[in-house]
Amino acid sequence: MTTGAPEPLLALSNVNTFYGQAQVHFDLSITVGRGHIVCLLGGNASGKSTTMKIILGLVKPRSGEVTFDGASLIGLTTPQIVRRGIASVPEARRLFADMSVRENILMGAFVRNGREAIAQDLDKMLTLFPKLGQRLSQRAGSLSGGEQQMVAMARALMSRPRMIVMDEPTMGLSPLYVDRVLELIRTINQEGVSVFMVEQNASLALEIAHEAYVLQTGKIVLSGSARTLKDDPRVRDAYLGGSEAA
Amino acid sequence: MSSWLDYTINGLIVGNVYALVAVGLALIFGVSRLINFAQGSIYLVGAYIGWVAVVQLHTPLPLTIIFVAMVAALVGLIIERFGLRPLQNSVRIAPLLATIGISFVLDQLVMLTFSPNPRALPSQLPDVRFQVGGGTIGPLDLLIAGVGISSALLLFVFLRYSKLGWAVRAASQDRDAAMQMGVDVNRVNQAVFGIAAALGGVSGLLVGMYYNQIDTAMSLQATLKGVVAEVVGGAGNVPGAVVGSLLLGLVESYGVAVFGTSYRNLFAFLLLVVVLVLRPNGLFASARQAPPEPLTGTFIAPSRPVRIPRWALWVAVAVFGVLPMLPVSFYVLQTLINAWLLGMLALSLTLVAGTIGQVSLGHAALLAIGAYTSALLSLTLSVPVGLAIIAGGLMSAALGTILISPSFRLRGHYVSIATLAIGEIVSLVILNWESVTRGPIGISGIPPLSLFGYELTSPTSVYWFSFAVMVLLALLQARLLSSHLGRSFRAIRDDDIAARAYGLSLNRYKSLAFIFGGFAAGVSGGIAAHLYSYINHETFNTQQSILALTVVILGGLGNVVGAVVGAVALVGLPEVFRIAAEYRILIYGIVLLLLVRFRPQGLLGTI
Repeated sequence: MTTGAPEPLLALSNVNTFYGQAQVHFDLSITVGRGHIVCLLGGNASGKSTTMKIILGLVKPRSGEVTFDGASLIGLTTPQIVRRGIASVPEARRLFADMSVRENILMGAFVRNGREAIAQDLDKMLTLFPKLGQRLSQRAGSLSGGEQQMVAMARALMSRPRMIVMDEPTMGLSPLYVDRVLELIRTINQEGVSVFMVEQNASLALEIAHEAYVLQTGKIVLSGSARTLKDDPRVRDAYLGGSEAA
Repeated sequence: MSSWLDYTINGLIVGNVYALVAVGLALIFGVSRLINFAQGSIYLVGAYIGWVAVVQLHTPLPLTIIFVAMVAALVGLIIERFGLRPLQNSVRIAPLLATIGISFVLDQLVMLTFSPNPRALPSQLPDVRFQVGGGTIGPLDLLIAGVGISSALLLFVFLRYSKLGWAVRAASQDRDAAMQMGVDVNRVNQAVFGIAAALGGVSGLLVGMYYNQIDTAMSLQATLKGVVAEVVGGAGNVPGAVVGSLLLGLVESYGVAVFGTSYRNLFAFLLLVVVLVLRPNGLFASARQAPPEPLTGTFIAPSRPVRIPRWALWVAVAVFGVLPMLPVSFYVLQTLINAWLLGMLALSLTLVAGTIGQVSLGHAALLAIGAYTSALLSLTLSVPVGLAIIAGGLMSAALGTILISPSFRLRGHYVSIATLAIGEIVSLVILNWESVTRGPIGISGIPPLSLFGYELTSPTSVYWFSFAVMVLLALLQARLLSSHLGRSFRAIRDDDIAARAYGLSLNRYKSLAFIFGGFAAGVSGGIAAHLYSYINHETFNTQQSILALTVVILGGLGNVVGAVVGAVALVGLPEVFRIAAEYRILIYGIVLLLLVRFRPQGLLGTI
């Protein structure tokens, strides 16, 4: 990786978000460099998932700007944002449980046209996620958590996104699958897809990320390259609630 | 018709008609988790558009069908765009109430345009019948079967192979995830409403041709049958809706074969209640399916109730109390008596729907039970009227609670469906239990109101009596709600799982609410019976249940004062503005729509 900061692909600047009276984000600013993996760390109720929803247009910020590739995303609907090239792996996977694995993966290509290219990409997914090959006609809801995570990632890749946002991709997975998922994120990234991921598991996330931000009750309290943050004791503190940390 | 084969054929044909309605309901429920109570109105519109096409435009049959499908689809699109889309971020109950309002408006518009008198809708097919085995079958039967089967096939192909069909399926399984795949949920909703309306409209046309007659009462019946079929098959399950419809058609047809025509609907609603109790997710739901989404917390619009100082309430009571002594016309007193009676019903419903969150659509049944009990006791056993009315209230409380108890384990929309069905069942039992209720003839010559031997025949005395009873019930209810009981009720409404976790027995508290509410409604029905001197099984109908619901929402769900204010407003305002009777239901529908859209918490706020 180059040492200098790459041109930003996604930028949130001074975002303030409210749920009713309660403020969730306080002047949140985050940038994701082109080709980078950026990780947003934080404990429960720190505003991580809401950040993801802001990017996807599922929640509208009260003020601030969100740009993707230089163009504003504010005011666009979720489908419009997806068409700009942002795919998502939602929290808890959110597969279409009663559709087959094949249908789930193909749903990822909903915004695309061209049957042949889509079929080719499906084959590509099966080489990337070989286990899914035997599961194609099975109901997605019948898969194990780890397998579902694979489907969710394949589904996201099918739109040929420029960026994938992931909400806690390792949550609830067995240690074996956690390693596999992290490895896959790295592979995806090496093929040129930028990744923005929200994680609770800091040490794992920092292993594959280029940069990271630490979010605490809606404010960025720490940010920098993953390498420097990895050894920073404040990461752990911030996470467990600052002064309350043991 | 005599052979079993005939009844089977008839059941399957009628089932096909229901399927056209139910499939639309299932599609809409799948995508929006909404029971579209306006589906029957679209069916009605379809029948009348068909009449225009056949009788006035003389279109050939294929063109008639296409014309009806297109106009109905257009109506569906308009409903989606202007009635429901603005409510997307609203509380969960809002779209349900909106479809009820829309159905009132559509039915009344049809009635005002075409008059309520039945019209003949000639079948455009030759009237011949072929012998098949021991039964007969006609070209119209074949047409209905053909339309049913081909619609099901088209729908299957659409859902399985088209891009929009995939979007519909994905959105019905996980709306947010579908959006994140780039699915435009508004387009999906449009598609679903358009398809549902087209099918519903064609269904209305075919039914009209089948019975050679159409009238405006078709609407509610169609909605009810469609809902029954859909719930039997599993809400949101499209193939399930088809099977549920055929099953419903057969059950009805065999029921008619054994017991007679007036039992048709009774079988339909009994089937519904049995399915709701035994398999609330439908016959085909597998065990893994999650229970119906909890509709907690946001089901009712949260708000800060308007504070009214206690002295102002007493002043209002005093003003209305002395009103008959002022020079006011009998007409004003008459109007207000109606308002007080409706107020008692609204008190009952605001407790049940607002405070404990069980949105009942069959509340008129409680009126009917109270009215029949009181009327029969005073007529046949010569029980003094005052006592008979109290007995009516007690009977409503007891019987109403027992009847509703199977729905205690249901939530959200399912409660509404169950109560609607139970309301219909009560009315059908009254119709069929001739030895006690005198069946369709009704009860006439009910003695007038009297208290301790004094007859209350003057409007002034009736006014005072009904006003005093209502104020008493309101005070009791206010007292009840300020105790820990009120808090428990609201806890169950806001989160029944949490309430249960804190040791509240849902059955006990729901029973208590229905007992108290049943008493108030029963007393209202009892007074009404002695006031009207004649009642029959249609005196207390679903329209009144919906009117009561509108009153309660207008006043603010759960709000005791609001219930009374809502009743006075809804009964009084049309009188003040001298709105002709035939426009009133239309006005009620519009009021409901406007409330849901702009002030879901009602005039005085929910509590």
